[in-house]
Amino acid sequence: MVNKRNGWSVVADIITAIVSLLWVAPLVFAILISVRPSSDPLSVGNIFFGRSITLENYQRALELAPWEWHYLTSVLVVLGVLAVQIITITLAGYAFARMKFFGRNILLFVLLIQLMIPSGVLVVQNLATMRALDLFDTRWALMMPYWASAFGVLLMRQTFREIPPELEEAARIDGANLGQILRFVYIPLSIPTYIAFSLVSISARWNEFLWAAMVTRTAEVRPVTTGLSQLFSATEAGTNYGQLMAGTILVVAPLVILFVFFQRRFIESFASSGLK
Amino acid sequence: MEQSATLTHSTAQIRRMKRPQWRHILPYLLIAPTLILVGLFTIYPTIRTLEQSLYEPGVSMRDERGRRVQQPDTFVGFQNYADLFIAQAPPHPIVGEFLQILGNTFIFAVVTVGITLPLSFLLALLMNRAVRGRALWRFSLFYPVLLPLIGGASMWAFLYGNTNGLINIVLRSFNIPTQDWLNTPDLVLWAVIVVNIWKQAGFYMIFYLAGLQAIPKDIYEAAALDGATYFQALYAITIPLLRRTTLFLLVIASTYAFQTVEQLDVLNRGMPANRSNMLLWYIYQLYPASQARGYVNAISMVLVVILLTFTFINFAFFERKEDDGQ
Repeated sequence: MVNKRNGWSVVADIITAIVSLLWVAPLVFAILISVRPSSDPLSVGNIFFGRSITLENYQRALELAPWEWHYLTSVLVVLGVLAVQIITITLAGYAFARMKFFGRNILLFVLLIQLMIPSGVLVVQNLATMRALDLFDTRWALMMPYWASAFGVLLMRQTFREIPPELEEAARIDGANLGQILRFVYIPLSIPTYIAFSLVSISARWNEFLWAAMVTRTAEVRPVTTGLSQLFSATEAGTNYGQLMAGTILVVAPLVILFVFFQRRFIESFASSGLK
Repeated sequence: MEQSATLTHSTAQIRRMKRPQWRHILPYLLIAPTLILVGLFTIYPTIRTLEQSLYEPGVSMRDERGRRVQQPDTFVGFQNYADLFIAQAPPHPIVGEFLQILGNTFIFAVVTVGITLPLSFLLALLMNRAVRGRALWRFSLFYPVLLPLIGGASMWAFLYGNTNGLINIVLRSFNIPTQDWLNTPDLVLWAVIVVNIWKQAGFYMIFYLAGLQAIPKDIYEAAALDGATYFQALYAITIPLLRRTTLFLLVIASTYAFQTVEQLDVLNRGMPANRSNMLLWYIYQLYPASQARGYVNAISMVLVVILLTFTFINFAFFERKEDDGQ
């Protein structure tokens, strides 16, 4: 819109600043309190900084949960889900974008049911399935339900449709098979979509909590979010926020850092994630 | 394909013979991995949930030799659904507990969506200007979207703390009476709602931003020539033109609101007295009690029906437009 530097726009600037500061305050204070000595409660003295800066809260938070295993699990799950998803959404995305076959629309609708009924709601039965497959309390149980992504299929279908079919025909005339066509025509031209999908997938799997809390028992195969939950149960409420916030920062830092570097990309990716 | 075939048939003949079959099967092979997984983790469990919600689970006991014996389930029709409303179900639910929690869930959804959408529209208006420090403001408003819900909520657990919480410390310094935000029955649901507004506003903002940027500038110039003020243009042009965005966000925000419960894990876990409890959290709470299985499946179906209702609204409004892009 036209932006004249008048009184209104100054007011708008001030409101923007106030709202943004309010929004960022929880993160800022979580960081501040996480480096504040626990002997130096917030109710005494300066609200921003304690008498010194310390990492003791992080030390204690690290002792209270096996974070190295949680990190390993989260990273493995994020990568293990993403790698398989890329394959499944590419294949299905291509089929729905470029192939004609009997029952295509019905099958697409069947896929869409995944978007309508999130697996979290079906926890009782899915836990039974995992027990039946003998995958209860394994990292596989954290990955398998997400290997198929209806959202990803729709995203790839949309992207592939915008690629001129002449490119595929030219490749076919040159004798390329389907694998080569995907590899040299469709995939290279869809890299931005793959990146967008990856960012959404990474953040969704890193943030996984409830399903993980239900389907795993052993600390070694539990993701970082369960470490934070455990820290909360182990810390008496209202007593040691330094320790709790240190744990919180341990969990959120990787995503926040990733976001700092890929701000625009992330925002665009999340915009496309709403497309459904 | 088959080496031996080339001896007796020309390549053209093979192509005619093999190609049609291959081309018929190929698409199904490509979608098979996705379909099998969706079948296994979405469709099959949905059908099983529906089926088992009609059964009373059999008791599991040990026989004289100490082996586990599972009694068969008994068909009870819609009894489990009726129990949600009129009876107490095992092991602990109290009569009326389900209604309380269903009510909480609807209040949570309606209030969260009702506040977040107008707020995110406002934020989009504010951010859609040449404002200094834009990257920083954008970071501040969007980062909560990325955080694990439990991580974002745990930051708020500190803000809400009774004695050492930031909000109460600030209130105390201004001599305003403090509140035990997460332990006061009348406040706790609102405290949870605030966390979710904070978490989601940035997400919906980007859709409004995209919508705003798609409106041609000359409409506003024409309106300005006609003497329309900023607020008149907002009311007569911007809001009507963003109606589709709003409808779309209304559906995705509502769907999302009915399944957002992870924050409860660090925000007093549905207490006190179930005042902040919600359907999905309730399912997770009841799950370990095997005798409540039928009851839990019935609640799951209630949630599935709620979510499907929103999806059909979504479908009615949006999918028709989407499908003509073949």
